[in-house]
Amino acid sequence: MRTSVAEAPPTPSAFPREIPIQYGTAILVLVLVVAPLLPVLLQSLLDGALYEDSYTFTLGNFAKLARTDGFGQVLINSVVLAGLTTLVAQGIGTLAAILFGRTDLPLARLMGELFLWPLYLSALVLSFGWYAVYGPAGYFTQIWDSLLGEAPWTLYSLGGMAVIAGVSQAPLAYIYCLSSATITDPSLEEAARVSGSGTFRTLWRITLPLMKPAIAYSAVLNFTVGLELLSIPLIFGDPAGITVLTTFLFNNGISSPRPDHGLVATAAALMLVVVCFLVWLQGRMLGNTRRFITLGGKASRPRPFRLGVLRWPLFILAALYILAAVIAPLAVLVLRAFTSFLSPMIPLGEVLTLANFVTIFDYPVYARSVWNSLIVSIVGGALATALVGLIAVIVHRSEFRFRGALSYLALFPRAVPGVVAGIGFFYAFALVPGLGSLRNSIWILVIAFTMRFIPAGIGAVAPMLLQVSHDLDRAARVQGADWWTTSRSIMLPLMRPALVGCFTILFISFFKEYATAIFLFAPGSEVIGTTLLQLWVQGEVGLVAALATIQVAVIALCIAAVRGIFGVKLHG
Amino acid sequence: MAELVIEGLTKRFGGVTAVDDVSLHVADGEFVTLLGPSGCGKSTTLAAVAGLDRADGGRITVGDRVYFDAARGIYLPPEARSCGLVFQSYALWPHMTVFDNVVFPLTLRKVSAADRRRRVMEVLELVEMAPYAARYPHELSGGQQQRVALARTLVYHPAILLLDEPLSNLDAKLRDRARAWLAELRTRLHLTTIYVTHDQIEALSLSDRIVVMNGGRIAQIGTPQDIYERPADPFVADFIGTTNFLPARVAGASAGRAQLELDDGQRLEVVAARPAEVGSRVTIAFRPEQMHVAPPGPADAAGSVLNTRVTSRSYVGGNWQVGLDLAGAVLRLETRQPPPEDVLRLWLPHAGGILFRGVADAAA
Ligand SMILES: Nc1ncnc2c1ncn2[C@@H]1O[C@H](COP(=O)(O)OP(=O)(O)O)[C@@H](O)[C@H]1O
Ligand SMILES: [Mg+2]
Repeated sequence: MRTSVAEAPPTPSAFPREIPIQYGTAILVLVLVVAPLLPVLLQSLLDGALYEDSYTFTLGNFAKLARTDGFGQVLINSVVLAGLTTLVAQGIGTLAAILFGRTDLPLARLMGELFLWPLYLSALVLSFGWYAVYGPAGYFTQIWDSLLGEAPWTLYSLGGMAVIAGVSQAPLAYIYCLSSATITDPSLEEAARVSGSGTFRTLWRITLPLMKPAIAYSAVLNFTVGLELLSIPLIFGDPAGITVLTTFLFNNGISSPRPDHGLVATAAALMLVVVCFLVWLQGRMLGNTRRFITLGGKASRPRPFRLGVLRWPLFILAALYILAAVIAPLAVLVLRAFTSFLSPMIPLGEVLTLANFVTIFDYPVYARSVWNSLIVSIVGGALATALVGLIAVIVHRSEFRFRGALSYLALFPRAVPGVVAGIGFFYAFALVPGLGSLRNSIWILVIAFTMRFIPAGIGAVAPMLLQVSHDLDRAARVQGADWWTTSRSIMLPLMRPALVGCFTILFISFFKEYATAIFLFAPGSEVIGTTLLQLWVQGEVGLVAALATIQVAVIALCIAAVRGIFGVKLHG
Repeated sequence: MAELVIEGLTKRFGGVTAVDDVSLHVADGEFVTLLGPSGCGKSTTLAAVAGLDRADGGRITVGDRVYFDAARGIYLPPEARSCGLVFQSYALWPHMTVFDNVVFPLTLRKVSAADRRRRVMEVLELVEMAPYAARYPHELSGGQQQRVALARTLVYHPAILLLDEPLSNLDAKLRDRARAWLAELRTRLHLTTIYVTHDQIEALSLSDRIVVMNGGRIAQIGTPQDIYERPADPFVADFIGTTNFLPARVAGASAGRAQLELDDGQRLEVVAARPAEVGSRVTIAFRPEQMHVAPPGPADAAGSVLNTRVTSRSYVGGNWQVGLDLAGAVLRLETRQPPPEDVLRLWLPHAGGILFRGVADAAA
């Protein structure tokens, strides 16, 4: 030590390892993102099918689409449904954020938790739940009918669908409003209150205006989700003859015996362009919103507003909403799974049975879809988590020349609706020779789901990565560790909680995904979502309920486990 | 053993030039301190030497190895440089014990297991942290973390040692002890070292030479004594010690001496190394310890006596701190006797004040 002779740095590997890893990852992401988009865009410009030997470029598809009977109505329906959905979601979400986040409403915390449940469930399962309660032969509808005469509502309308979709998307508005400055920074309100402003006056004049950026941003987000929605229009719209863009794509691209590829691809391309624009708008708004949103939040909870005499009436109203919109659909769905027939007129004891579950596990097709879903979600989720971790480290912790481009590319799938991704991968796998065996396996689903949910995964990992001090990896570099060693020995262990959160989110997303899957599955590679839709078409309501119950149970178990073991928060 | 040569180093962040044409020669085994206010480019300079940031221009060599040369497009990544860098935040890896933190660089160098253990324990002994080898960083105090961070860089015998404000996260008492300990360690290690700090006491007490930086540029390079006694400009004078600046006009000059006239007409005489032009504006700087309250009677031969107005006085345990107004300039003085409430007769030495041309902005 005293006569320290400077030691040579560790012998560098002959070839810098980061180069193949970083470029390899970037190329992989590029292929994943471009693979479904290129065929769709190309096909929209061709007069024949992509896989035919000869074709010419044309803009004829666009003209043809415009002339297609009823396509104008399809567009109007899409916009109206998305618009109404947004209205419902924003109204409920904003109100809930104020009530559960800012007032002395009894049991506000518990109700806030319950309010978020639809976020964890697929809209498909939620639709079945609503059907079981409020459908034509639904549990509640029957009670109403027997007491008050014919029920005045129908789910088979744009309004009915918008209510279901709005309830399932209200948590998004709720989360954004909760994190807005007025909720996390009470000083703004307190100033108003000190100056003698009453509770409701302060809410109206201070709290709500300060939430505007959060409301506006989540509104665009919800409008986008509303446009991309497939399950609800498929279940309630199609029977009533109400077609939206997604069901138009589904019916013409999949169900139709002789699909017009040019037309389908053109509609898909149109949808892609619209959603791209909306996502771009979200990005811009988020930039403007940042200064209104305090990330992380304060440790101290602001003093809640006193509701006074309205405290209990509002509590009853909120409790009724939670009961009617969240608990009842789930509970009746689960109940239906355990019965042969469900009606308020028949005593429950007479119809209780496990037959639905027995059938599910007796028939290989149904059982297989459960196992496939589990494998896709566990193995696929793990693979996708590894990829997301790698992308995040390259984007945020490397000198990779194209890290900016990689970041943009990795977030791009936000702008690709599930339906479009499904059609795109379908084309891509049909076109590239040698992928035949992959096409009929669950791996095509793993690939498509991974592409779809890379942005969600990055959203779970990046914020945490940004909190890890740069000094920690720089210290390793100075001491002689190359980028890859640093990433493995220093960054990976530090990112573990974020990766657990990422895996959970990807597991749940993969497990409940159906929109992409229905374009891609083949006999043998069914997943729960696709089987649910098939059973639904066959009218097997009991089996639908049983399968949906399995999905809900697995997701609930997963969330409970992760919360209990790792204490990872999954939202906000 | 290595000497460090930095030539024309420049680093820009967007429109900001964080380091502007910095050249510095650190001899083998020399301990050089970069001193300057926050944001003056000290850390950026250090990061460029360590290879954490790629500079925009200039050259860095250590011994006969070229770390960086903008002109020839040479840039060694940090892992190929063999620098030891102690971060301001210590940057101990929270998921590893003290032992694992320190052994990491040896594992990278494929040192045999037995040697690894011996060397880690040896260096932990050196920093007096051997009993804590099994602890995790969060179980250590700030001072202990700082020692582990130092051990982690010393263990692999780096060619040069870079320390970025290693004491700044310690509380005042601990800092004094750590400084004494560092001073002792440095004479034992005899490593080529660049030490970064904004604390002039640390700089003065530890360094062979000090580099004072201002706005990305080098303001002065010199021994601690040079810097303290012969600051090159008012910025350095101000930064290195609490200094009082008096703007004045040269009223007369004779062999090595100058008569200065203040704005209110009072006069004083100073020893001037450089001849000053009669009629020009100058600034004269005094340290607080050079000024005192004049005894009654006329001025002695060694100094001038001036009348000042007392603007504030506060008792701070044993001493009085007095704020003075002298011809519009603000002066600070410490004295043991209770100062008068209105007019104070101030004694200023002929020799020891530092004369600058022009009006110092630091005096503002
Ligand atoms: N990564 C960076 N991006 C942009 N500006 C930076 C960055 N790092 C440092 N700077 C700027 O460069 C200047 C010098 O910073 P720094 O070297 O950290 O100062 P010091 O260590 O002397 O306090 C400051 O003005 C700082 O704002
Ligand atoms: Mg610094």
